Amino acid sequence: MILRSIRASGWRCFADDISVGPFQEGLNVIYAPNATGKSTLFEAMRRGLLDGHRVGGKEVEVIRPWGRALAPAVMVEFSHGGQEYRITKRLLDTPSSKLERKENGRFTSLAEAGKADEMVRAMLSGNPPGRGPSREEHWGLAQVLWAPQGKLAFGRLSDDLLAAVRASLGAQVSGPAANPVERKVEEAYLRIFTPSGRYKTGKDASAVVQLSDRLSAALTEHAQSVTRQRDYEEAARRVEDLRARRMQARRDADEVITTLREARVRADSFQKLTSERNERAARVSEEEARHSELKGRIDGIAAARKEVREATEDLRRIEHDLPLQQSELRDRESETEQAKSALEDVRRERPAIDAARALAEEARQFVDNSKALADLDGLLQKIGTAQEALSRRKGERAELVAPDQKVLNAIRKAVKKRDDAQLRIDASLITLEVVPERSGKLVVLAGEEPGEVELSAGIPKRVTGSPEVVADLPGISRLRASGPAGSVEEYRAERAEADRELKRLTEPFRTSDIESLEALLEKSRALDKRIDATETQIETWLSGCAVDEIRRQRSELQAVRARMLEGHHEWQQKAPDPLALKAAAEDVSTSFKARIDAAEARRDAAQAALLETGRRKDQLNSEAEAIRKVKASLEARLAELTGDGRSDEERAEMLKKTTLAWAAARLKLEESESQLTGFKDNPVDTAARLEKQLQAAEEAADRARDDEKTEEGKIQGLSAQGTYSLLAAAEEKVAALQIEVAGEELRAGAIRLLHDTLEQCRNEAVAAVAGPVEAIATQMFQRIAGGRLGHLKLGDSFEPANVVPEVSGEGVSLASVSGGEQEQIHLATRLALAEVLAREERQMVVLDDVMTFTDAGRMARVMAILEEEAQRLQIVILTCHPERYRGLNGAQFVDLEGLLAASRASDT
Amino acid sequence: VRFIHTADWQLGMKAAHVGGVAPRLREERLAAARRVIGVARDRAAEFILVAGDTFEDNGVERTLIQKAADILGSSPVPVYVIPGNHDPLTPGSVWEHPAWKTMRHVHVLREEKPVEIPGGMLYPCPVKDRQSRKDPTMWIVTGDAGAIRLGLAHGNVEGVPQPEPDHPIARDAAARAGLDYLALGHWHSTATYPAGDGAVRMAYSGTHEATGFGERDSGNVLAVDITGPGASPLVAPVRTGGLAWKVVEKDIREPGDLRRVRADIESQESPGSTLVELRLRGLLAADELREIPRIEEILASRFLFHRLDSSGLRPSPGDASWMAGLPPGTLQTVAARLQELSNPGFAGKRPDGASPEVASRALIELYALITEGSP
Repeated sequence: MILRSIRASGWRCFADDISVGPFQEGLNVIYAPNATGKSTLFEAMRRGLLDGHRVGGKEVEVIRPWGRALAPAVMVEFSHGGQEYRITKRLLDTPSSKLERKENGRFTSLAEAGKADEMVRAMLSGNPPGRGPSREEHWGLAQVLWAPQGKLAFGRLSDDLLAAVRASLGAQVSGPAANPVERKVEEAYLRIFTPSGRYKTGKDASAVVQLSDRLSAALTEHAQSVTRQRDYEEAARRVEDLRARRMQARRDADEVITTLREARVRADSFQKLTSERNERAARVSEEEARHSELKGRIDGIAAARKEVREATEDLRRIEHDLPLQQSELRDRESETEQAKSALEDVRRERPAIDAARALAEEARQFVDNSKALADLDGLLQKIGTAQEALSRRKGERAELVAPDQKVLNAIRKAVKKRDDAQLRIDASLITLEVVPERSGKLVVLAGEEPGEVELSAGIPKRVTGSPEVVADLPGISRLRASGPAGSVEEYRAERAEADRELKRLTEPFRTSDIESLEALLEKSRALDKRIDATETQIETWLSGCAVDEIRRQRSELQAVRARMLEGHHEWQQKAPDPLALKAAAEDVSTSFKARIDAAEARRDAAQAALLETGRRKDQLNSEAEAIRKVKASLEARLAELTGDGRSDEERAEMLKKTTLAWAAARLKLEESESQLTGFKDNPVDTAARLEKQLQAAEEAADRARDDEKTEEGKIQGLSAQGTYSLLAAAEEKVAALQIEVAGEELRAGAIRLLHDTLEQCRNEAVAAVAGPVEAIATQMFQRIAGGRLGHLKLGDSFEPANVVPEVSGEGVSLASVSGGEQEQIHLATRLALAEVLAREERQMVVLDDVMTFTDAGRMARVMAILEEEAQRLQIVILTCHPERYRGLNGAQFVDLEGLLAASRASDT
Repeated sequence: VRFIHTADWQLGMKAAHVGGVAPRLREERLAAARRVIGVARDRAAEFILVAGDTFEDNGVERTLIQKAADILGSSPVPVYVIPGNHDPLTPGSVWEHPAWKTMRHVHVLREEKPVEIPGGMLYPCPVKDRQSRKDPTMWIVTGDAGAIRLGLAHGNVEGVPQPEPDHPIARDAAARAGLDYLALGHWHSTATYPAGDGAVRMAYSGTHEATGFGERDSGNVLAVDITGPGASPLVAPVRTGGLAWKVVEKDIREPGDLRRVRADIESQESPGSTLVELRLRGLLAADELREIPRIEEILASRFLFHRLDSSGLRPSPGDASWMAGLPPGTLQTVAARLQELSNPGFAGKRPDGASPEVASRALIELYALITEGSP
């Protein structure tokens, strides 16, 4: 592809229309300062050629010039395959695409919209993008030919490009005659398979797929036909089964009919016999009733007569016994009265018993009263004695003046205070100690105790005083001892105060001796304790009562005693014995009770005998009355039984006849029953069961017939379809398609094998001839950088892999060489590949500001190579350093900034 | 008596093996059936015996039953038909079609009981099950020898290899039942069973029209003459089939063999009623490649049906002609590699799916692409 011109508007910095071109087929340098739009121009060309016109999204939206609602538009004129084309695209708003081809010197519309996009993409790339924007892998040859800004190095090439490169190289190997055949192989392959090797499907599906689809449909149809045929056969089988079932049901019914017929005859016979048996049984019952009635009457008459006789006898016996009972009753009444009288006699002894008991009780009370009086006297005496002692002790305590504990503590405190003051006085006094060697005297002139003091040899003598001690050793010396002026007077005042307090506290006790005071305290405490104990004892004896109350109780007891003694003067001299009196009373009482019991027992026995005699008499009266009633009833019944107007003899004769008739009826009944016993079952029930069986069998036959008709209907329906004929047609269709599919599969397999073998052979050939690309790239690189870095090595997808310096002969990664050399290696590789790809048609190479690290010396050599390559390639250089390329011979320089300025000027 | 013995018309049979001409084959079977009636008329037969399998299946389309009934009904003489194992007398069978009741001469024999026929008695053995282990002729007992006794049955005569006994018929069934002739159906080839005295009293007429490749002696009916009870029947096959089924196998060894095959094909008679299966195997020379499409063209244009199997043809391993027409370079390498792979004896590693057959075809395809457009 050769670029002729680019025109863009509404495209990033190109808000207004910008047109660049025509480009020449050799070298073109488009220059402008940064941010003028060189790369934007390159982008507009790329999108114009490769993006679908309906692309959208943020990535495309940013193309709009800032702050403007313009729709990006681009027009690219280019040549390809010897034809001149023009693609015009408008993106985003009312997007459009139009492809024109120059025919007879003017552009003629070739395709529009999506078709236009597709056609241009197909020209430039074997791997066009889908609906979205194009990526680098969609660029086709341009991946090698177009180097975007800062991307001179290229990564792994897309498969289609690799294939294109290999095809180009392969063409060198195969020769021009092979290419058409290989294209045909490829076309044949792509008619059947996708590029990834799958069968083509959809609208352009391969024959294998189409036939397989038809076969699949035919197999479905065949399966349905098989199902229909099976349904038909199954239906036939079911009809056969149902016929068999119907026939069997019919046979069953016929069999039941025969059995039923016999059963019905037996049932009739059975019913007749049963009826006869029932009649005979009724006859037996009648005869039995008649016999029973007569026999009952005869027996009843006899029994009634017997019972009347017995009643008459019983009545006579009772009437004989009744007077005897009356006499006995009178005797019993007399005995009872006597017993009652004896009992009353005994009861009258009861007051004497009570009097004895009362005396014994009174004696007990008297004794108890005497004892209580004595107890009260003793108590009163003890209380009196204790109260006297208590009074005495309280007097002693009142006389004793002793400090209590609190006062004693205060005294102790005052003593301690006094002693402390004395100690301080002693400490404050100046002490003069004289240790005489011989006896003499010491005259104290100033000190605590002025005056003379006798001295004894060897015995130290102390003199104290304040503020100084002055003493004379007569004839010997005056001694003066002084010290610092102190507060001995203050201490003395404290001691005086302490002495006064002590005196005040101890004065009532007439002693200030602590031990004496403590003894007084102990004594007072002992007295208090004894007073408390006595008071407690008195309170215990009184038990809460007052002494007067006790005395009142004593007076009452004495009054009681006086009253008792009024009735029993003898107790004045001798107190009674309550226990003896009680024992005597108990003895009398026991004897009385025994007599009472005996009298009551006799009375009860007499009364019981009286009652028994009265009861027997009443019973005899009752029995006599009852017997009279029974006898009357029996006589009435006898009259009724004998009221049939027959004699006993006549009744006996009748009974004989009735007995014979009954026996005869029983015999006949037994005969009937014997005949019925001959039937093992109930023939009527059997017949009824058989009737049901027959009905069930006939219903089964009817059901089977109905089912059979239903199934026959199904068969008719299925056979009308001609299931086998349909199956035959389906099977034939399947077989024919299977043959066709097999044939097409064989052909497809053959084409695939041919294609794969060809590709494999070609790849092997290309791999063998990839060396020339390396050789061209190495030659270019060595021309630029010299031979120091040796040979370039390319990777599987023709990317520069490493360099092999001549000195080492071992590969070194590109990272080991300088940045400038790296970009020179990539440029050499791109140009080498471009040379290969351009063998059939001149191609455009775009270099967008790529040689940024190359120094001026090497740049000059690069330009020489570019000039050479321009003989085979169209080279478009985008740069902001046009001065670096000024040395290029034959290059067309385009001042983009100038163009923009001119465009703006023309607009205004 | 004189009668025509036929069987196994298999009307409505499927013919998946002949692809698109199956309907034509079915029509041919009806045409052959009409020829059977014509034979009866031409030979002044007194009746026709049809020994089962008139139809391929009870599920054939109803119009076909009507057509068959019409053909049989067109007979000037009585036709006695029994159901066979393909069209057994089952519920919904073809024999329940109302057409049979309207055909005066056509007697569908549904019971195992003697039927009086012109000049004698007929003992029919109708088949009521698709499969059976019962000898269908067992019910026939010897009886009055005053009349000609004919049997009509469908099954396998003992001695024919069978995985399981299926409608077995004793080898001496005719003698045992005292029959003068037992007309059999089931096997598609004509076959007779001479008794000890040399008389043929039991025979398969075979199908009246061959049903596929490889069938032996089919497409006949038997014309039978019996002069009287106990007399030896005179049994003569009469051709009724209208189609020829030919299998041609050719081993290609020498240059020119394929051209000779083409010439042979071109010289075949009545190709319009001939079905041919041509199997080619051997070594294929590149310069004879064009013969294969030519042969196929002739087969397709002239013959009723053809099947060309050239999968047995392999490019000759040592044949340099395969390289001759190719441009030098990759394509020659490809051709050489495919030629190697087409050799069944190739010991190297084969790519997936690269069977000798596929490789041969790939080579042929390569040649087709190379020569595409050339005269």
